[in-house]
Amino acid sequence: MAERQLDCALDLMRRLPPQQIEKNLCDLIDIVPFLCEDLLSSVDQPLKIARDKTVGKDYLLCDYNRDGDSYRSPWSNLYDPELQDGTLPSDRLRKLEIEANNAFDQYREMYFEGGVSSVYLWDLDHGFAGVVLIKKAGDGSKRIQGCWDSIHVVEVQENRSGRSAHYKLTSTVMLWLQTNKSGSGIMNLGGSLTRQTELDASVNDATPHIVNIGRMIEDMENKIRNNMNEIYFSKTQDIVSSLRSTMTLQDQNQRMKLQHDLTKALESRSGGM
Amino acid sequence: MADVTNEEKVRIAADFIKHAPPGEFNEVFNDVRVLINDDDLLREGASSAFSQYNKDQYTATKVEGAEDQVLITEYGDLGGGRFLDPRTKRTFFYDHLRKEASDPQPANDLIDQTAEPWREALDNAFKVYISSHFKHGVSTIYGKSSGGSITLIACIEDHQFQPQNFWNGRWRSQWSVTFTQSSNSAEITGLLKTQVHYYEDGNVQLVSHKEIKDKVTFTDKETLAKNFTKMVETLESAYQNALAENYGTMSGTTFKALRRQLPVTRTKIDWQKIVSYSIGKHLQQD
Repeated sequence: MAERQLDCALDLMRRLPPQQIEKNLCDLIDIVPFLCEDLLSSVDQPLKIARDKTVGKDYLLCDYNRDGDSYRSPWSNLYDPELQDGTLPSDRLRKLEIEANNAFDQYREMYFEGGVSSVYLWDLDHGFAGVVLIKKAGDGSKRIQGCWDSIHVVEVQENRSGRSAHYKLTSTVMLWLQTNKSGSGIMNLGGSLTRQTELDASVNDATPHIVNIGRMIEDMENKIRNNMNEIYFSKTQDIVSSLRSTMTLQDQNQRMKLQHDLTKALESRSGGM
Repeated sequence: MADVTNEEKVRIAADFIKHAPPGEFNEVFNDVRVLINDDDLLREGASSAFSQYNKDQYTATKVEGAEDQVLITEYGDLGGGRFLDPRTKRTFFYDHLRKEASDPQPANDLIDQTAEPWREALDNAFKVYISSHFKHGVSTIYGKSSGGSITLIACIEDHQFQPQNFWNGRWRSQWSVTFTQSSNSAEITGLLKTQVHYYEDGNVQLVSHKEIKDKVTFTDKETLAKNFTKMVETLESAYQNALAENYGTMSGTTFKALRRQLPVTRTKIDWQKIVSYSIGKHLQQD
């Protein structure tokens, strides 16, 4: 029953307006408190930013760097508020985590030209897993607020030889756009897309984990960016046009008939050649 | 921390139901039903949410014997589950869960005779208007008088449900005018609402609404109907064009500024270079 309830909770989160994700998640946890941990780890929320005062750098908050009510900074590896026995990655993994943060910091700069990124890793039995987070807020120009959140969760199963690995990537990108202008009133276009992919790759000096993971995430994010462009600005707009036509339907039919006649005329011409 | 009370749980359940996107009431209701896991509790505490949802969404329904559909709205709510169809001058019972109309009866003295000639003229004009802009739009016009003034309220709805393609959308607009029979101008108010839900491997929603105030001039019920309807046509199209303009800016400016398609180099990242650079940096720090 609990599994069915989790399925229904996740289905609900895919239908309720994403503009109220945080409130909906809170309310959901109130109804089914025994699913709290499951929900917090499977429902993506817009990323929050915190400041690591020890190094003067921002970092992002998610369930993967949370222990109780404290969050771990990827720059200093310290919890805020302080924790006595907070969960930490192993020494070997922390080294990789530092490199990953540096690498994705550069990735972020090259694609986003601003924003904040954070990478958190944790140990698994035969490998490790990690999350790559990126947040970029628009500058509000043209009176439109925009915000982008990336959440890439990768699972790495290392082969016993250590010379290859199986990578599983689940990526969620959230895009929020809103404006309040006199012509359109309030217009709020927001939500997220999720995609998954898997890859087997060699692990060596030329292609260490970060290179394999980096390429996977870059390709995935580029694909999702194109999808978003299509879905947000073409698809939803087409749906609005299907609800009401600014041109009268009579004019629209006439135009379609004209297009049809033109097409037929051109076809019969080229057919005759 | 104390567990949330049953009352609170049912209040949340009702709230979720009221926020179901167009065309997805059943799915949201089923999800909530499984989560609450107590049908009696849900029926007691959330049944008002079903009627609230249908009235909010301007749900269209067919009543036996009527040529056109009629909208379920707060303005036609007569209590006890019965609603008014001003065009056919009848009342009917509406089952909010099954979404079915039944038991049509003549409305008799529920029809305001002072407002009726004005209401009918507007009803006819709106019917023509929606047939030229909405593929399957439904309009319902209400009229009532009080003292020396008459109020007409017009509700329009159209929707497209394509769950097989993972999307649904709905348009709702509501226009009203209050005037005295001797006046020749009156203020009109409008409220336009658009909602679109796309959910293939994701959850993307467009939610938009706009409030409008304007003035209409007229000399009799025919000119009021004609001028009011013409204004509605112009203002609704202006809103839709403004949405289109925003779409253009959002995609051409805002979205582009959030994340580039490719780095400035116009090629994908050389990850080997990035990793060797950061390892070098790391060694320098030691």
